Amino acid sequence: MKLKDRFTDRVFTLGGSILLLCIVMAIVFPNKFPTIDNFSQLMLNLSIDTIVAVGMMVLMIAGMFDLSVGSVVAFAGGMAGYLMYYHHVNFVPAIMAGVAGSVLIGFINGWLIARVGINPMIQTLAMMGIVRGFALMLSGAGIQNFPYEYTVIGQSKLFGLQMPVWYMLLVVIVFAYLTKNTSFFRRYYFIGGSEKAARLSGINVEKMKVWAFVISATLAGVAGILLSSRLGAALSTSGRGLEMRVITAVILGGASLSGGYGKIWGSFLGALFMALINNLLILSRVSGYWQEVILGAILIIAVGIDQLILKKMEK
Amino acid sequence: MLCLNNISRSFPGVKALENVTLKFRQGEVHALCGENGAGKSTLMHIISGNLQPDSGTIVLKEQPVIIENVLQAENSGIAIVYQERSLVDALTVAENIFPVNQPKTSFGLINYKALYANTTALLEELQLSHLAPNTVVGKLSAAQKNMIEIAKALAKKPAVLILDEPTASLTHDETEVLFSIIKKLKQANVVIIYISHRMAEIATIADIVSVLKDGVLQGTVAADTPVDTIVKMMVGRALTASVFSSNTTGNVLFSAEDISGKGFSNVSFRVHKGEVLGFAGLTGSGRTALAKAIFGDAKYDSGKMFMNGKPFRPGHPADAIASHVAYLPDDRKAEGLFLEKSITENIAAVHLDTTVYNKKENERLADGYIRQLSIRTPASAIHVRKLSGGNQQKTVLAKWLSADPELLVVNEPTHGVDMGAKAEIYHILKNLTAKGKGIIMISSELPELLLLADRIAVMYQGKLVKILAKQEATEEKLAALASGIL
Repeated sequence: MKLKDRFTDRVFTLGGSILLLCIVMAIVFPNKFPTIDNFSQLMLNLSIDTIVAVGMMVLMIAGMFDLSVGSVVAFAGGMAGYLMYYHHVNFVPAIMAGVAGSVLIGFINGWLIARVGINPMIQTLAMMGIVRGFALMLSGAGIQNFPYEYTVIGQSKLFGLQMPVWYMLLVVIVFAYLTKNTSFFRRYYFIGGSEKAARLSGINVEKMKVWAFVISATLAGVAGILLSSRLGAALSTSGRGLEMRVITAVILGGASLSGGYGKIWGSFLGALFMALINNLLILSRVSGYWQEVILGAILIIAVGIDQLILKKMEK
Repeated sequence: MLCLNNISRSFPGVKALENVTLKFRQGEVHALCGENGAGKSTLMHIISGNLQPDSGTIVLKEQPVIIENVLQAENSGIAIVYQERSLVDALTVAENIFPVNQPKTSFGLINYKALYANTTALLEELQLSHLAPNTVVGKLSAAQKNMIEIAKALAKKPAVLILDEPTASLTHDETEVLFSIIKKLKQANVVIIYISHRMAEIATIADIVSVLKDGVLQGTVAADTPVDTIVKMMVGRALTASVFSSNTTGNVLFSAEDISGKGFSNVSFRVHKGEVLGFAGLTGSGRTALAKAIFGDAKYDSGKMFMNGKPFRPGHPADAIASHVAYLPDDRKAEGLFLEKSITENIAAVHLDTTVYNKKENERLADGYIRQLSIRTPASAIHVRKLSGGNQQKTVLAKWLSADPELLVVNEPTHGVDMGAKAEIYHILKNLTAKGKGIIMISSELPELLLLADRIAVMYQGKLVKILAKQEATEEKLAALASGIL
């Protein structure tokens, strides 16, 4: 890859910024930042968001997005918790039910968007409310006292890192590989590039769209199971605002709202960057309220710089 | 009236215009020609205030002016009809024609009564009185939109009117209407700058012709100068007129029996191996609807189709591709290309039915076709947005050739393509027939149908009126059949 191309490749520029940020933080906070504990906590914090962000990246490559993922996170955990706590269902079928419910939600989203033609923003906004309602019904004020086998999924450690971190890395690596090397996932870049031209090139755009929503909702469901297992509780408020955080991460990671662009590693780096900023603010004892202000400003700056580079290149 | 003195403008790496001096007089139709990239667009953008010259002056009505932006150009009476549409589909005809200068009531609100009256008057002048001023533009055909675009420019009552390829999507009749309007404007002493690729048109409507090549003015000559001379000025060499021999065989490749669908009805025809079957007709005569049905992009209601003798019922373009049918759409930018993707990826778009995405193989394919079709590009990784119209069209062709079709349906294959690339596309198509491929060629350019087609089918209001053999077809006959006269 040429240097100029590198400079416009978000995975490269964002990766560089992260490295720079880490070095600065290591110098400023030598005792607090570069420690195993801090690193492990940081990775754990971003693991749930990243798993959801991978699915969102697939959607955004195809030029769509899903606002219902945050509700799905709460729903999947609530569903599994409800079955285990009230009906004493074994943890395996409980997890399967939680994920299956998420798959169904994704399918309904995708089917209505692709086949009926409802706008993704409207469809998933409505589904966000509907699913949040179901999550409330399932988990009420919250469900606790899960079986040990369930909590061990999210609370055990491997090589000093919490399990959710490993699941996240697995999801990122697998999807990065698939989006690069399989025709199935490459089709999303073409659909995002031009839906009409994609159809006229023989791509079944409708079917692919349904799949994209199913994939995204499935990953959100898995994330929901992991979150409730890690917390040892299913809360109806889980994943509130997660959809916006995830979309922010994905856009920081190089996706565009009109589609056609983006890499899976970008979604991980976007989430990592946000987690680092968060970490920096905590270490510098900045009030939590500032966090949202600063993240918003960073998003505007990142996308603004992009537009300026684009304009410069066109001239 | 409008003088350009020693205008130069360069972009990084290219001198788009070099010391161009042109005089445009009132009541004169001044044609500008040149191949794509010759500097016509840059010149037009400078006159209309979109771009500023690096050096040189513009003199309008004896006054030196600096045209800083489009608004200022409009206030100076310069109106332009762009090749790309500037209409909003969701708004009405009247609102599109008067986007800013609507008549106001005494309260300062839009006076719809006057707005519609003004629009109706304009539409009548353009012989579009069958359109109501409150028709939503999105419902209009491509040709009608083009006429609305012209109405929009006329509404400004311009002193200078620039027309950029105004007839590219107009049919014969509408072109006639446009020409009669141009003649009226001439009498009203308007300066008319007419940009076109079509030599026959220039001879008909223009008074004088200026030729640009690589940003340099080659000269200004009378419009009745022989076409060969003008073409020679444009390309720097004489183009030999091509004559193609027929490659058609007796073996039927594709047949349609009494098919009907949205926009066409009871159409029957055959395409033989190695044959080019031309389709003439006006915009909206059902040619594109028929092509889309053959390609599985639109449903058809009744009738039968056969490919190589086997029943053929495509429900989706993917089915058609699997039966070795390909379709080159008329709207290259919206339907044919992925503008923000590379040539390689554009070709890869029809190879996504495999499990593994084979990047190397696609690159090999792309490099092969760049050479074979002489697509002029620095690399296969270049985004196709940056290519010229001709090279973009060759990229779409490359995509389809890589899918190895037996029947290629091409819709306006040389629309907006310069003369050099046109000739190349003709050769590419003809070479395919030599390999036994069948081609259905929809075109509004009768000379190209007469040049390439072995037989020409004419459609009128959704019906296939007649199929003429090459020997019996003439431009007059085709135009008459297409207008429902014969």
